[in-house]
Amino acid sequence: MPKGYLSLVLHAHLPYVRHPEHENFLEEKWLYEAITETYIPLIHVFERLIEDNVKFRLTLTLSPTLISMFTDPLLQERYVRHLEKLIELAGKEEGRTYGSPFHETALLYKKQFHEAMSTFCGRYNRNLVSAFKKFQDEGRLEVITCAATHGYLPLMTLYPEAIRGQVKTAVDLHTRHLGRPPEGIWLPECAYAPGIDEILKECGLKFFFTDSHGVLYASHRPRFGIFAPIYCPSGVAAFGRDVESSKQVWSTQEGYPGDFDYREFYRDIGYDLDLDYIGPYIHPDGIRIHTGIKYYKITGKTDLSQKQPYNPRQADEKAALHAGNFMFNRQHQIYYLSNLMDRPPIIVAPYDAELFGHWWFEGPKWLEYLIRKIAFDQDVIETVTPSDYLRRFSCNQVATPCSSSWGNKGYHEVWLCGSNDWIYRHLHMAAGMMISLANQHSNAGGLYRRALNQAARELLLAQSSDWAFIMSTGTMVEYAVKRTKTHLLNFFQLQKEIQGNCINEGHLKDLEFRNNIFPDIDYNWYAKTTMDLPKAASL
Amino acid sequence: MNILFPWLFLVVILILAACVFLLPLSRRRPGKINEHESLKPPLFSEEFSEELSLPASLSPHPFQHPPEPELPHFYGIDRMVLMARDPHWLFAYWEISATKQEEFTNNYGPEAWSSTHPVLRVYDITGIEFNGNNALGYTDIHVSESTDNWYVQVGKPDRTFCIDLGRMFPDGRFITLLRSNTVTTPRASLSDRLDEEWMWIEGLYRTIGRFQFGTSSPMIIEELALRAGALPLGISSPGFNKDKHN
Repeated sequence: MPKGYLSLVLHAHLPYVRHPEHENFLEEKWLYEAITETYIPLIHVFERLIEDNVKFRLTLTLSPTLISMFTDPLLQERYVRHLEKLIELAGKEEGRTYGSPFHETALLYKKQFHEAMSTFCGRYNRNLVSAFKKFQDEGRLEVITCAATHGYLPLMTLYPEAIRGQVKTAVDLHTRHLGRPPEGIWLPECAYAPGIDEILKECGLKFFFTDSHGVLYASHRPRFGIFAPIYCPSGVAAFGRDVESSKQVWSTQEGYPGDFDYREFYRDIGYDLDLDYIGPYIHPDGIRIHTGIKYYKITGKTDLSQKQPYNPRQADEKAALHAGNFMFNRQHQIYYLSNLMDRPPIIVAPYDAELFGHWWFEGPKWLEYLIRKIAFDQDVIETVTPSDYLRRFSCNQVATPCSSSWGNKGYHEVWLCGSNDWIYRHLHMAAGMMISLANQHSNAGGLYRRALNQAARELLLAQSSDWAFIMSTGTMVEYAVKRTKTHLLNFFQLQKEIQGNCINEGHLKDLEFRNNIFPDIDYNWYAKTTMDLPKAASL
Repeated sequence: MNILFPWLFLVVILILAACVFLLPLSRRRPGKINEHESLKPPLFSEEFSEELSLPASLSPHPFQHPPEPELPHFYGIDRMVLMARDPHWLFAYWEISATKQEEFTNNYGPEAWSSTHPVLRVYDITGIEFNGNNALGYTDIHVSESTDNWYVQVGKPDRTFCIDLGRMFPDGRFITLLRSNTVTTPRASLSDRLDEEWMWIEGLYRTIGRFQFGTSSPMIIEELALRAGALPLGISSPGFNKDKHN
């Protein structure tokens, strides 16, 4: 038996950025970049591990918006076209860099893009969910869900039905695509408030995660800190994020991704090369964007113009070194902890999946080295998922976790601050109206059912925590404001039409076409719940 | 020559129109937009369809849209919503309907509205069933007429609050107009409640093998003994409901 457990959790999520109305939509590129740079490289990691029969367990969130985009034919088609352009560009780059120190890296990209194409089209028939489902069915991944549109749940607790709408929609979609209901959920932004667990339980979910202080500052002091889960009074388990392992990867100062040999994110040929040459591969209006082809290493704390050429082999060695270091540190952590505990500690290490590959180019390699080392080089640590752990240790301490998030300062300020607080008076209004609509039209059919379901979709889309987050960070704010307003206005329009018995079918059809997410949504999930969240719960 | 002139004129007009039409395309830069100058026409379809049609007039700003529909600022209802942002700060927003204002005027006289000013009364109601008079204490915040939201620095983690929005007469008399929901600020430190309660969830998971938890803790064994055969979830401690509301 191992002395302790490591639970690696990757949270894969992007907001719903599908724009059928426009051929070249900048925000849609977020998805395409993440597919090429993160999701497909991760799929390759899991494929290689399985092929080599490496024993491992890893938890992956596929957010419902991401599943919806992965399975959308329009976006699949557009991705293939996007990738074709990239492959064309990589071919030109091979020639352009010939004889220069960048040539090896250019070949690396060319190979990466070709492999992406064959994985995307050839092996998984354009549907990446089927890849992750395969790894799940082979017993390697535990795929869990997230709130439907990544809504920030603690700021919704005045409307438990709205939280239920987010969670039920997510569980329903997840079950349809992954073939089994999720056992656990990644709460958007790791954000919890007392009472949310009651809704998770109602939806059949057995565990979630909080940031370290979410568990540490629970109503009763947890005996094992964050190194064992606690049960909420509802019986749903909460796992707390480990501080040390997070810092090693996340920290901009001490984290691995900042190593000087790793690839520099900000030197992209989309910005560096002449418009005449790069023009066809950036936005048609001449807006420079990241192409994903980057030739420099971080080099040091120097100006962007002083960066040195990237050396793939050196970077690869560093990734292996860092994986070894990470494992070494976990082993010591576990040795230390196991002296204090009467059962093996569990270390929960969650990361945004998009960190790997997109931002930290060598991240997928690091993960692969880490998993191989844990499997073959030692027997102190075993990788588990939260479900595995709960099956082995079904008795846990009971306490209510503390309202918290993994955002800056640890609570809700990022999503409730001067730049985004205006949205809540509208979001709450819409949530309240949606609940009334569901209560008044309990068995609607035909046009009414369609309008009610579309209203629920618009509400969900407006609730994405991504919009509030973007507003607080200050870049691309215009888009986030626009999305929030558009979906809210769509919702209010539908609400008016349903209430006034004057549904405009043409308009409804247009909305169903534009915002086609969650085809199987049922507005009845918004009907009044008998459950009241604890009165004293933080809103 | 005479025949050429109108043709030339037409060509010039067409070039002008093309310039006006194409220029903004090359200028659009969604990348680094200052958040304070948001709300400019975004990259949406409406825009695209307009690009296709020639601007009606040759005005220098063909991209000025008819004003986009805006969200209403008020919904014509009475509400006062309170949220706990972190252990030290609350956020409240509110709106008062015209009916409410009339009601106030009817009760306190036609001059009452203008002779009073709005005040937020922040009650500490930790651990009590608040009835309007039994708060542990309160703080008044004087706000201006046009204010409709406020960040309240309470500086007290793990306490329960509720806010009244009311009008204050010059003599200090306070009349409540709206009462918020209650919220509890999150904890900011380890709990000093050290009593432990343990739960064994049966049925949720098929337990593999023997119960692994060290038998060194007699308390757990007792707990388990108490719980065997209780609710399917094994949650039966009388302490639960109490805990939930603390």
